[in-house]
Amino acid sequence: MFDKLEILQMAHGMATHAASRQSVIARNVANADTPGFRARDIESFAEIYRADDGGMALRATRAGHLPDAGGDGTAHHFRTFRTGEAAPNGNSVALEAELMKSAETKMQHDMAMAVYGSALTVLRASIGR
Amino acid sequence: MSDLTKTLALAASGMQAQGTRLRHVSENIANADTPGYHRKVISFEEVMHRGRVTGEVRAGDVSLDQSDLEDVYDPDHPMADETGHYDGSNVELMIELADAREAQRSYEANLKVFDQARQMTAGLLDLLRR
Repeated sequence: MFDKLEILQMAHGMATHAASRQSVIARNVANADTPGFRARDIESFAEIYRADDGGMALRATRAGHLPDAGGDGTAHHFRTFRTGEAAPNGNSVALEAELMKSAETKMQHDMAMAVYGSALTVLRASIGR
Repeated sequence: MSDLTKTLALAASGMQAQGTRLRHVSENIANADTPGYHRKVISFEEVMHRGRVTGEVRAGDVSLDQSDLEDVYDPDHPMADETGHYDGSNVELMIELADAREAQRSYEANLKVFDQARQMTAGLLDLLRR
């Protein structure tokens, strides 16, 4: 029943996106010294949200796009693209940039949690508890 | 949630690989004065599981640096030949220290991501508490 609430759905999509992005960042950082590894990133939540015209049903929340639908639990439901200039050994990970993105993603996740939490508070208030 | 658990596993694999690297660096430093010692070098590689890249990292096989050994002149040394020279090791302390520092930097980055993901999980669970 609460699935129909746009704000909860949006917060859900935002948190899912943050988790996926964090996973991609962790992969980049873990491979920061692997020769030939190219850093990856996924589209920002704003872009995905804007690109989706079908109302509030976020791409990330559609059944076929759930993280576990692909089987390996990675962020393949979001388009990943490669970033950065490569070092002489073919590695294009910039640790500083990855940590910046990681902090950004954490903030995005916190915001989604806060929105979800206060939406729940409003719901509780409406049923008089 | 599965993405966050995966994040934790990825960061842990990174820390483990950097730890292995640091162990080889310390072996090299410990053997800096061992005659005939070739320094060990490792490279990182992506982990494959059932033909698919998992994104995790591991330390690859150890190989020996085949560059020339240092030629030490010391006629009193038990291993010295008739000209008074013997083969030292090819360990350069500066290179090893730089490598150790780089390993530490990458380890800390992985730790940071791990902590970040852990806090995100905690935030998620906090929703249930209210």
